[in-house]
Amino acid sequence: MKAVPVEWADAETGELFAYPAGKPNIFRQGQIVYAQEGCAYCHTQMIRPTYLGYESWRPDFGKEGTVELPIRTRETRSGDYDGEQFAYLGVQRVGPDLSNVGYRHTEQWHHEHLYDPQSKRDFSVMPSFRHLYIKRKVKGQRSELALSNSKSTDTVVDEYEIVPTEKAKALVGYLMTLKKDDPFSGKVAGEPEDKKSDVKSK
Amino acid sequence: MPEEKEAQEDIQRRAAIDGSARFPVLFFITSAAVWLTLAAILGFVQQMKLHSPGFLDFSFLHFLNYGRSNPAFMGALVYGWAIQAGVGVGIWIMARLCRAEVKNPVTLIVAGHFWNLGVLIGVLGILFGHGTSIEWLAFPKAVWPILCGAFSLIVIWLVTMFHRRQDKEVYISVWYILGACFWFPWIFITANLFIHIFPGSAVAKAATNAWFMGSMIYLVLAPIGLASAYYIIPKVIGRPVHSAQLGYYGFWGLAVFGGWTGIQKFMGGPLPAWMPAVSGAAVIIMLIPVLIVTVNQIMTIKGKSIEVNSSPAVRFTVAGISFFVIYCVFSALNSFLTVGKFTQLSFTSLGTQLLAVYGFFSMTIFGAIYFIVPRLTGTEWPSLKRINSHFMLSIYAMGTLLVMHLFGGVWQSTAYGKFDAPLENAISAGKPYAIGGSVAWAVIVFATLGFLMNLVSILSRSGRSEIVSKFVKYIGGQENSG
Repeated sequence: MKAVPVEWADAETGELFAYPAGKPNIFRQGQIVYAQEGCAYCHTQMIRPTYLGYESWRPDFGKEGTVELPIRTRETRSGDYDGEQFAYLGVQRVGPDLSNVGYRHTEQWHHEHLYDPQSKRDFSVMPSFRHLYIKRKVKGQRSELALSNSKSTDTVVDEYEIVPTEKAKALVGYLMTLKKDDPFSGKVAGEPEDKKSDVKSK
Repeated sequence: MPEEKEAQEDIQRRAAIDGSARFPVLFFITSAAVWLTLAAILGFVQQMKLHSPGFLDFSFLHFLNYGRSNPAFMGALVYGWAIQAGVGVGIWIMARLCRAEVKNPVTLIVAGHFWNLGVLIGVLGILFGHGTSIEWLAFPKAVWPILCGAFSLIVIWLVTMFHRRQDKEVYISVWYILGACFWFPWIFITANLFIHIFPGSAVAKAATNAWFMGSMIYLVLAPIGLASAYYIIPKVIGRPVHSAQLGYYGFWGLAVFGGWTGIQKFMGGPLPAWMPAVSGAAVIIMLIPVLIVTVNQIMTIKGKSIEVNSSPAVRFTVAGISFFVIYCVFSALNSFLTVGKFTQLSFTSLGTQLLAVYGFFSMTIFGAIYFIVPRLTGTEWPSLKRINSHFMLSIYAMGTLLVMHLFGGVWQSTAYGKFDAPLENAISAGKPYAIGGSVAWAVIVFATLGFLMNLVSILSRSGRSEIVSKFVKYIGGQENSG
């Protein structure tokens, strides 16, 4: 079931948009892996309004590295979860919020991070998801997806390569589609169309 | 003398009831205890993983990653231990209070086997990567019809027992147990249908899940725990419940408001704001029935501190009720936006669940088990020392978990609120508290192993058989009552 799209026009250009846009929001196959691995027990997908905390201003909850100044990510709305099997809003924040993780990193970064999280952030308490990757002998050319941060214990770097399985690809595909910030008109439900007339009536 | 004859008949009747209840009750209690041990070990592993992912980090043990061991642990704790032990204790209390024998214990045991099978498939399913990551419903989808069918089979026999009751009076414990018997299938089926079967918006499913957890605590665990408390305390103290009427008010308060709770967990989330608001209000109103229950219990044990201290059953029960009060006050505080914003989405949310399931429910049920099992086996607990250490260690561990989860959660979310600080600060803020939590879990594992050993040795009848309970004899210096 989906929320009814509401059309709205950009105030400056007059261009028409709709929220929710009606496009498939996420990569569903990957969400299944997200659930199976239990990512939702440490990561939330729910950004709260400022009256409940200032986390929406965190650069690492929004589009880290893409903007110069601190910029506020909007709080999540119900339309952001359209087309999902289940909204994994989360339990506790052991790791950062993932509502907008699709903006923050490249696919390669995600694969390397999933394989060995501490190689990207030494303070991380995330477990390694090595079981989603396979180590295989290089035959001919190296795979484009081969990871470059294989641990020293993996030995013989030249002969072997570590490549993601289908599950890992699906999971990263899902993470890359997590962009819960579709613009909307900003109109509050039930608010009168023309505010001026409302003022006059008083 | 007619009075003596009556008393003799009464004892014989009670022995017959105990004999009929013996196998199903012992079956449920023993398998629950095994699940508790498993849950405690998984609990320790998941807590260790929370702060040091290097713990047991072998490739072949990837199924112990936090994301899998945490839901597996919760599943084993709630479905393997809590509900199963609750059913065992519930059958016995029903049989005793309705003065009806358990007809058809075989069906109960068969249902129990299916329940255990369901939980086993569920826990293994989560560990081997088929979990759903839905809190308290993380078992693979296919499991819930098994659990539901098994529970319904058990409920049918409890209800027929109620129909065959020979005692005209319906005691407050019976109300609570019958309530839980009907509420569990209701909320379990509703939650599963709306989450797994019916189409619906993703956010509504998340809200259903939050409602399910709130209702499980207030409408299933709370009634069974309170039923046990309402039975054990008056029985051991030797004095009726202070006020039956207060008891009924408490019951109806729970029945009316219990089903509205849960969604306050997602306040500020992508839901219509009235949903968390209504749930939050219900949790706050729940303080009234809780106050009623507490006053009733306090008035019952008033001035009987010797009995409370000398009977392990009552000691555990009183501790459980105290944790229940703490849980309710704490949840009510969390329902206010001003407090909840510091505790929501942090360690605290898991801490409150543990407070309800381990602090309140398990402690109360331990009390009931320490009371019931000697009456079913006809032997006394082999080691009083082990019971006492179980009590002290459980209190200590639960207290530590409470502090770690509460302060850890506030610390953690405050750190995330400092938006211009680096991510490292926020992640390391919770770490010390997670380490503290694993100390508590190590203690729980130790205490649970002691409990299991005690239970196994009383079942194998290696315990000393004494006709008069040593706990009663201890008080019995001045009065010689049984």
